[in-house]
Amino acid sequence: MGVNYYDILQVDRDAKDEDLKRAYKRLAMKWHPDKNLTNKEDAESMFKKVSEAYEVLSDPHKRAFFDSTLKARVEPAADAGASGDGGPTRYQNPLPKA
Amino acid sequence: MAKEDQGLAIGIDLGTTYSCVAVWRQDHCRVDIIHNDQGHNTTPSFVAFTDQERMIGNAAKNQAATNPQNTVFDAKRLIGRKYSDPVVQKDMMLWPFKVVAGANDKPMITLNYKGKEKQFCAEEISSMVLVKMRQIAEDYLETKVKNAVVTVPAYFNDSQRKSTIDAGTIAGLNIIRIINEPTAAAIAYGLDRRINCAGERNIFIFDLGGGTFDVSILTIKGKIFQVKATAGNTHLGGEDIDNRMVNYFVEKIKKEKKVHISGNPRALRRLRSACERAKRTLSHAVSATIEVDGLFNGIDFCSSITRAKFEEINMELFNQCMETIERCLADAKMEKRSMHDVVLVGGSSRIPKVQELLQDFFERKDLCKSINPDEAVAYGAAVQAALLSVGIKNVPDVVLLDVIPLSLGIETKGDIMSVMIPRNTTIPVKRTLPYGIAYDNQSSVEIVVYEGERTRASENNLLGSFSLSGFPKAPRGHPFDVCFAIDENGILSVSAKEKTTGISNKIIITNDIGRLSTEEIYRMIQKAEEYKAEDKKFLRKAETINKIDYYAYKIKKALENENFSLKLWSEDRKKISSAVTKATELRDGDEQEEEIDVFEDHLEELINLFERFFEESD
Repeated sequence: MGVNYYDILQVDRDAKDEDLKRAYKRLAMKWHPDKNLTNKEDAESMFKKVSEAYEVLSDPHKRAFFDSTLKARVEPAADAGASGDGGPTRYQNPLPKA
Repeated sequence: MAKEDQGLAIGIDLGTTYSCVAVWRQDHCRVDIIHNDQGHNTTPSFVAFTDQERMIGNAAKNQAATNPQNTVFDAKRLIGRKYSDPVVQKDMMLWPFKVVAGANDKPMITLNYKGKEKQFCAEEISSMVLVKMRQIAEDYLETKVKNAVVTVPAYFNDSQRKSTIDAGTIAGLNIIRIINEPTAAAIAYGLDRRINCAGERNIFIFDLGGGTFDVSILTIKGKIFQVKATAGNTHLGGEDIDNRMVNYFVEKIKKEKKVHISGNPRALRRLRSACERAKRTLSHAVSATIEVDGLFNGIDFCSSITRAKFEEINMELFNQCMETIERCLADAKMEKRSMHDVVLVGGSSRIPKVQELLQDFFERKDLCKSINPDEAVAYGAAVQAALLSVGIKNVPDVVLLDVIPLSLGIETKGDIMSVMIPRNTTIPVKRTLPYGIAYDNQSSVEIVVYEGERTRASENNLLGSFSLSGFPKAPRGHPFDVCFAIDENGILSVSAKEKTTGISNKIIITNDIGRLSTEEIYRMIQKAEEYKAEDKKFLRKAETINKIDYYAYKIKKALENENFSLKLWSEDRKKISSAVTKATELRDGDEQEEEIDVFEDHLEELINLFERFFEESD
């Protein structure tokens, strides 16, 4: 399992910043809910995926981390890609219910 | 007016001081800015109440000086805020109308209508302005209008946006989208200039309006308008400049004439209008005179102000604008040199000092003044309205990628704000982050959602909360996922899920504290309908009285002709003259006392008499 951001953006693993930007803009234009008035929900979910992929891949740190999880996927899956920022799992402590 | 065009949607710029409405004309391939019944393209966002009637727009603003306590403006400065908000407390001191605290700390405007005390919330006042704008559009388009895109300052928070949607609902409009004012202005600018922009263009929108200030940085490439960052101040605009001028003159009057006018709403209102005029004059002249006859206790006030003095008393405000610009550039991670165009929007962007500071900041770059600063926002809203309507032809093919203006997050242990979606993130967006419970043996957690930039969660704007409970007691750090999703309307839904049991819970942040409930909105819609009916009744009565007057005059004139008069039977003559006397009584008497039926019945009688005795003799 796990998402592959390269597949979502339809770019190669060695895509440059420019390629990412172009791919993002093309797909954002294609899937923006305003451009899909009759198919809003699917479009919106696709748009969110595209945005997430672009956000991770356009940030060198997040991209490096994501690349490392991709390698690990050859072995039993590490499910880190699902966390939105692609960063290391961070546990925080919300307040207990009063 | 009978036909209703379901597909038609208008764009409304609902401003603090003025509002503007526009529509996409598919047959002409262009946006029309719609003028009001006075021929103006902008309409004052004023509502006034008198013993007889309710007025909206120009009529309300024109009588503000004679009826200051019952003339409401600045509703946009109240909308989505609490009564205890320091901003509201400060504004209240300057408003001639009364504001009191209602349920849930909601500010309520209190005034007199037809001799009775009435209370309105800001949403209701804004809804009246929206009704007026819709009316203006319907008159122009000669068709009913139901759908609208309404603009808000980019820096409006969640409560302010949702309250604006509520205002639309009360007005009977279907708000298909709330869009940011600078973004709307960017559409207007971009469409105008798209022909000669082949590559990517960075544009900087500087929007200083009547009540709010926004800056946005966008990149336009082909069909895509992408907002990079936005910043602003929801309480900085022409009104604040006027306030400073008023304070300056109040002090001056105190010193020179030894009188305090600060307690006199009528004098303040008149002084304010004179200051507003002088401010406009100072945008092209180097000095302006302020003249108010009979300002206070028979004193005729006459003074002048130079542009230099004007700039001095407002410098603090201008500097605040410049600070906001720097913050926006930093957020966008862009250099000021990389901006291709700096676009001026909003009436206050005409102030020469503001333009000078801006030009200096952008290293003597020419400012773009090609778009109308008062109309650009409505223009963009009209384009967006057309884009969102199915079946409208010839709409420019563009897509807007807008951002959220404020960070969204949840409260974690120690009142710390944990940001889930940072400000200036493109929407729609969805993000899931893992969290852990704070203490051993916890079997439920409270998810408290906030919006804002403060590190202490409780100092931010509370949006709502819910709990996730029922999972087995677990040790500290036991994981659960929190997911934030924002749709294209900026509506946030938050969900949480405990992984081992699959227990989950979610809320859609729609009804936060202080926001109107569905029942309240329903009640307000009823109330709005009643007011509309009363307005109509007032108009009908006024028209009937005019007609009564007309026929009474005609009959009286005819009776003066002796030849004709002598031909009448004395009984008829008596009947006619008593009808004329009654007409005069009705016209001059206290109209409030009588029901409309009395007037209409009498009008009918007059018309009958007139037709029977006079018409053929003409």
